[in-house]
Amino acid sequence: MTLKKFIVIVIGFVFAFFLIDYTVSIVLSKGLEKYYGLNTDSELAIVGHSHLMLGLDKRKIESSLGVKVAKYTREGVNLAERKIMIEHLLETNQNIKTVILGVDAWSFTDEGLSSNSYKLFFPFMDNESINRYLLTECDGVEFFSKKIIRTSRFNELLIGGALRGYMGNWSNLKQGKVDISKLEEQINRGVYRKIDSKKNSIYILEQILTTFEEKKIKVILLNVPTIDIMIKAQKNKVKQVFEKINALAEQYDNVRFLNMQEPWSHEHELFYDAIHLNPMGQKKITEEVIQYLNDSN
Amino acid sequence: MLFNSWEFVFLLLVTMLLYFNVPNKLKTLVLFVSSYVFYAFWRWDFALLMAGVSVVNYFSALKIVKANSVNERKMWLTTSVFISLLPLLYFKYGNFFIANINSMFSIMNYSRELSYLKVILPVGISFFTFQALSYTLDVYYKRTVVEMDLVRFCTFVAFFPQLVAGPIERSTNLLAQLKKHHQFNRIHFIEGAKLFIWGLFKKVVIADRLALYVNRVYENPELFDAPTLVLATLFFAFQIYCDFSGYSDMAIATARMMGFKLMQNFNLPYFSSSISEFWKSWHISLSTWFGDYLYKPLGGSRVVYTKWVRNIFIVFLVSGLWHGANWTFILWGAIHALFYLFENWGDKLLNKLNLTKIKDYTFYTICKMGIVFMGVSYAWIYFRAQSISDALLISSKIFGNWGQPLYLGASTITFALSCLLILVLLGVQILQYTNISSLYFSKSKVPPLLSSVGYLLLLVGISLLGMSSQSFIYFQF
Repeated sequence: MTLKKFIVIVIGFVFAFFLIDYTVSIVLSKGLEKYYGLNTDSELAIVGHSHLMLGLDKRKIESSLGVKVAKYTREGVNLAERKIMIEHLLETNQNIKTVILGVDAWSFTDEGLSSNSYKLFFPFMDNESINRYLLTECDGVEFFSKKIIRTSRFNELLIGGALRGYMGNWSNLKQGKVDISKLEEQINRGVYRKIDSKKNSIYILEQILTTFEEKKIKVILLNVPTIDIMIKAQKNKVKQVFEKINALAEQYDNVRFLNMQEPWSHEHELFYDAIHLNPMGQKKITEEVIQYLNDSN
Repeated sequence: MLFNSWEFVFLLLVTMLLYFNVPNKLKTLVLFVSSYVFYAFWRWDFALLMAGVSVVNYFSALKIVKANSVNERKMWLTTSVFISLLPLLYFKYGNFFIANINSMFSIMNYSRELSYLKVILPVGISFFTFQALSYTLDVYYKRTVVEMDLVRFCTFVAFFPQLVAGPIERSTNLLAQLKKHHQFNRIHFIEGAKLFIWGLFKKVVIADRLALYVNRVYENPELFDAPTLVLATLFFAFQIYCDFSGYSDMAIATARMMGFKLMQNFNLPYFSSSISEFWKSWHISLSTWFGDYLYKPLGGSRVVYTKWVRNIFIVFLVSGLWHGANWTFILWGAIHALFYLFENWGDKLLNKLNLTKIKDYTFYTICKMGIVFMGVSYAWIYFRAQSISDALLISSKIFGNWGQPLYLGASTITFALSCLLILVLLGVQILQYTNISSLYFSKSKVPPLLSSVGYLLLLVGISLLGMSSQSFIYFQF
């Protein structure tokens, strides 16, 4: 093999790789945008983590209210990450009038959520605020390898999201019912996520609400119910957090706190696990939210 | 340092750049330094241990050659084997012996308990120890000439592409190649790069993905029923194959890029139609090591039948123990020994009944492939289980309740992808088995353009679906 042929083969291979890499990543990014409802003219947006993801049915809300909904929810994202998602959403969607933002008793607790949730932001690292956030979260080698090789920004969760975006499949359902005896045993052993109130998290929520106020966007701080057994374990702390969220909501004219803890948290058959709702629970809560939105209009 | 890390890419590029550009007399030194940097990246003090094992074997071989009598030769060989195996016994088997002694004390109601050693296992110790020993044994049996250059010999033991997980090379192959002055060869580079991509794909896309399901099930086997346990075991069969053969491919590929040809370590083992064929295709470098340095010295098959049965059991039990200091590995070896003997008895029965012609039928071969695969997979239960009791629990449960639903793992997408990837692997292997696609560096019937597209897709697959595991299964051995 001549040197010329060797160089042509190597360069050709590398070029072809980056071409496929770019094309695949663009196709997947577009699919993800569809899945999350980014770059659309949606008027209503749902932003939160898995708690809210399994709590609301986007399709049902759209058909009942006759508005387009962007459901931008990701597993394991804390308040700081939700803030970045909101910035991203508002940059790409200009028509947002109302945002349902997921809150719960653990909203001001930093620890215990996924430590890898930042990886879910890689596909959108071309966005300035996401890029800045990722620089602080991952090491240099990881950051720059993702910058160079675009397909490495995805994982199967994100690929699945992209495919669902193209297929128009927005159902987030977890079949099954919570095992109460196992949960009680776990709680008796003290194995549950402890509630904390970090000042920084409260400040982030204030920043988020101020942003919405400036943009004149209505906000519903929605607490999807958590099972009562879990709540009882830290009753006082839960009360304090909800009082804090309520107080924050009252500071803004455009913000309402919709706490659906009662009466649903006692209905154990609505839960997939201690925190997440099953399809039956999702149906109930979605109907309640639709009712609330209809009434408030 | 892992093959699937940027540090390794950097080391490889620097090594190649230096190796192909320094004067011939410095080439071995470049490989020596790179190999020790590669190992010391993990633990520098254990690099000294490896150097110690190398030096012991180097001088022992010199003494064997210079010895005046057979007894003196034997004495130096014994010394070398004993000293080389000491670190292995201490680091790998020390706590195993202590645990067994403590169990015996407990059975005898003896209140004393020995305290455990606070040691960690040096990565690849079984590999470099066996590689160094093979040289001394070859010198003793006069199969190879003695090496006078200490740096070259130490490079042979520590050669970084195959240092931590094989293939376990012989001095007749690798040491001889270290004496040559390799020049950059474009074809070798491309061949190596292709094999590296395939090995990396097997490791980070298939093996590490299957590991998620396997680990979940094998960590708590009591929580699962027959369908899930069987599937986890079949997944493990593919996981360990992709993990280990993936590493071997990357090792062979890395060496190839620098002009070296390491021995083939896998030859489509799951397409074997007999247990003996399986062991000629799985971890070939270890099987032949045990064949040459244990089975044959014991008399091999040229002994009376009962001694042959003993030899088979010794080789498989030692092979099991080589893989790990746990009774599960020993039992795994014993199961393979039994399979080997059953197969031998089956063949004898076919001869007696004049049914040997049946072997010519393709259907018979395919059925035997299936039976061998199921048998090997069953034995993997003992290899993967954390304890004998776990292995027995799984063994009993897989013959139990089949009515329970199949556990699909944490994510249905991952599960579906795992199944799809196994099909891709089998598809490629069928092409290799039928000599359409290249296996190692054999000629391929696939048009070059199509082959290039295939490797491009593998590379994109690695980027898109690759997982970042921190280790390889065989590193622990």
